[in-house]
Amino acid sequence: MNILVSDIWLRDYLKTKASQKEIAKYLSLSGASVEKVEKGVYSIEVTTNRVDAASVYGIAKEASAILPGFGVKARLQPIKVAPLKFSGRVWYLMAKVDPNLCSRFTAVLIKNVEIKDSPASIKERLSAVGVRPINNVVDISNFIMHEMGQPVHTFDYDKIKKATMILRPSKKGESLTTLDGKTHTLAGNDIVIEDGAGRLIDLAGIMGGENSAVDEETENVLLFVQTYNPVNIRKTSMSLAARTEAAELFEKGLDPELVSLGMTRGIELFEKLTGGKAEKKVLDIYPSPYKEKKVKTDLDFITSRLGLEIEKTKITKILTSLGFKALWKGKILEVGVPSSRARDVIIPEDIVEEVARIYGYQNLPSILMQGALPEPLANAPFAFEGKIKDILKGYGGIEVYTLSLVDKASVYSNALKLKNPLGKDSEYLRMSLAPSLIKAAKENSGEETFHLFEMANVYLPKRGELPTEKMILAGIFRETPYRVAKGIVEGLLTELNIPFEVFSEEAGHFAPNRHLYIKSHAKILGEFGELSQGHLYYEFSVESLTSVAKDVGSFKGIPKFPPQIEDLTFTFPERTRIGEVIDSVRAKEKLVKHMELTDIYKDAYTFRLWYQHPTKTLNDREVEEIRKKIIAGIKEKFGAIN
Amino acid sequence: MREEIISIKNEAMAQIMEAKSVSELEELRINYLGRSGKLTSLIRKLKEIPSSERKEVGILINDSKNAISKLLAEQKNRLGEGARVWFDPTIPGVRPPRGYTHLVTKAINEISKTFEQIGFVRVRYPEVEWDYFSFGSLNMPQDHPARDEWETFFVDTPSHPTYGQMVLTPHTSSGQVREMKRVKTPPIRMINIAKCYRRQIDASHIPMFHQFEGLVIDKGISIAHLKGTLDYFARNFFGKERKTRLRPFHFQFTEPSFEVDVTCGICLGKGCKVCKGGWLELGGAGMVHPFVLKEGGIDPKKYSGFAFGWGVERTYMMKSGLSVPDVRLIYSNDLKFLTQF
Repeated sequence: MNILVSDIWLRDYLKTKASQKEIAKYLSLSGASVEKVEKGVYSIEVTTNRVDAASVYGIAKEASAILPGFGVKARLQPIKVAPLKFSGRVWYLMAKVDPNLCSRFTAVLIKNVEIKDSPASIKERLSAVGVRPINNVVDISNFIMHEMGQPVHTFDYDKIKKATMILRPSKKGESLTTLDGKTHTLAGNDIVIEDGAGRLIDLAGIMGGENSAVDEETENVLLFVQTYNPVNIRKTSMSLAARTEAAELFEKGLDPELVSLGMTRGIELFEKLTGGKAEKKVLDIYPSPYKEKKVKTDLDFITSRLGLEIEKTKITKILTSLGFKALWKGKILEVGVPSSRARDVIIPEDIVEEVARIYGYQNLPSILMQGALPEPLANAPFAFEGKIKDILKGYGGIEVYTLSLVDKASVYSNALKLKNPLGKDSEYLRMSLAPSLIKAAKENSGEETFHLFEMANVYLPKRGELPTEKMILAGIFRETPYRVAKGIVEGLLTELNIPFEVFSEEAGHFAPNRHLYIKSHAKILGEFGELSQGHLYYEFSVESLTSVAKDVGSFKGIPKFPPQIEDLTFTFPERTRIGEVIDSVRAKEKLVKHMELTDIYKDAYTFRLWYQHPTKTLNDREVEEIRKKIIAGIKEKFGAIN
Repeated sequence: MREEIISIKNEAMAQIMEAKSVSELEELRINYLGRSGKLTSLIRKLKEIPSSERKEVGILINDSKNAISKLLAEQKNRLGEGARVWFDPTIPGVRPPRGYTHLVTKAINEISKTFEQIGFVRVRYPEVEWDYFSFGSLNMPQDHPARDEWETFFVDTPSHPTYGQMVLTPHTSSGQVREMKRVKTPPIRMINIAKCYRRQIDASHIPMFHQFEGLVIDKGISIAHLKGTLDYFARNFFGKERKTRLRPFHFQFTEPSFEVDVTCGICLGKGCKVCKGGWLELGGAGMVHPFVLKEGGIDPKKYSGFAFGWGVERTYMMKSGLSVPDVRLIYSNDLKFLTQF
């Protein structure tokens, strides 16, 4: 949480000559992070575990421990609890309190209060931290909350029927109107206060009830300072979306000992600002007062975590400056934890943190680990994935990262759906990259020709388990001839040393007659073709590619005898599949080492053939024999004219 | 000797200019620059002259040699076959189509390379994850206020009896306990780079982004080792002079926890107009909380460790000094953006 602390206010409790800039810098290095200082106001990020520091007084305590480490003198001006009489029973209020919801309950009656404006010093301090002054009673509550981090509430005493309060969990369906005029219907287990007439008068820890609020006519005020169970407060505050400052403090678990300080300060301010008179006895229901918690650790543990030898006396000095007690028995250290830090400092590691930050992280050494190295990951996919991307980049591909969250139209009916999507267009976890890439291609329709590719997981649901995250490589082309696009796919597979074949079969989402499966060792690796809406598209399972790819091509002996190379031209009837023509020659003629389509002119296709024998040079007569067989085969099977 | 050199040079140049054929030029080359050529033999005589003059004479011989070689080449081209055919060497080349890998791919490659050099093992863990790995095993029980900082997407599917709700992992820290369970016995030096999701979108936040998470567990791992690793990364990734610093912070799954800053690349920590205070915020880090070690089946009495997890995009922007005004551009798929890198 972020808090504002004004410099003037801070110096009420922090006695130092340090400049604002120094305070900001040193606090950030060893305590709470000061985001900025503007017009004498520090904007400070206080982490959730340090709610004890979320106030002027809390920051003063921190700074008084931190500054000396940087050679700057600083002293805390402590708030002392006035000699008040705290008592479990008072004449003016009958209270029944559920101790599980409220670990400390204090209240005092202040009579003959005069409601008016606060003095300038109070108004200025509040305005500087962004709180609008209202009147002395409201301002006192806000002042104490900002000064000490303890929310304080005030009731109009005369509106509490029969001077009775019952603090209890709410029942489901009960409702109450808070002083901002909003009516809340409660879910149950919210902390509420009921008066003697059975009315709910307070949504405790969040906001007071309208029916018991202080107004212009109020004469007698009940000043009310409590510690609530943080879990209940958080649930109520979240479910009612009532994120008040009080709730944000209470939900982090406040120190019950802070209540007496809040009460002291409250009575002091009330008597001074409103002319009211407080009762001598303060009601204080505190069934289990704080007993000092101890954390045991030792010198070796601390030095091993710091990576540095540090003296016992230095550790003691640091801990006591933060309000801890340090008791040594040889190397064993027993740390007494003050109530304000009891929720945060529990294990020896917490002691390490306190010592290290005040000692100064900048004063610790910086060294690399020694010791054994871990084993590499078996079958790590990263190098292979990188290789694919580099190959496609080399072919002119442009890599994209599209959002894996898509709309309903882009997934199958079993796709995983989000409970809290940002919008309808990103409600589902995608099962294919195609819709995303089509979208990306459309978004770039101003460009002439391109090849986009992406490698990303798709999420395939499994009942009762996490989805399978399948790494997919997919690409899409715009204004690219079929043979060029297919050549890129063939080139990629060839560079990955994957032997492959294609077969044509209809598939959903692809135009009729324009879809191929790509297979290797009888296993389907992926597909290529023209999508129904027009783009050429390919998609592969990266894992399948890995399983058949080879890092290095296999070695074949270099042929000792030269090939004879020649071109043959055929004219085919319409609807002839040239891929099948080439396959048929390769399958039948073992002495044709290689066959390539080199030219197409109208319906005439020119092939280049490499005739080669492993153990001799073929002579013209032998080549002619093979050629005759090829021509005859093609004529017969495909009805070609040579 | 000086005059001798100059006269040999002038003689050679005159003869080269008058040469009528390539073979004649070759003879001249041997005559002057060959192993026992006139100029070459002068070089051998260098030893005989006083050392004070040697340097100057040496330079003169060299210059003469270069002038003769150049003239020989020019004459050779003029007399050769090619000179008669017109050729325009200035015509622009036909370039192959240029491809691009994405900025994020480049960033991931550089980050993983930097850590792999000091023995880190790159891994990748689920992007769709159980609450247990994303929060519970990281010492963040249900309803803990610390969870507010992770704007988490929840998947609409029944909860797992032990692992709780299904979420889109909001950070790579969900890989910590998974890595401990995979390796079982330290040493662990993990670098986990993966997609993460958070329910937020504005100029500096995107619902899908990438993080890299470092995790080191071994005997006697200290804050000093974390500092050493971060400084190593800063020097090798950002530049030799760059340094890091730790500031206190709080995470439920590390104790102590830190915020890590790196010195500004322009002022190197002194403070300037760009960075203001001299330091730029990198991200969170900390010493692994014993609770987390126990969840991963590792004895916190024997072992300790540290972890850090930062945004890939942000870290790379800081390195390259690319000031992309709106992070949403990175995932916009706009070719005008993608083809700039």
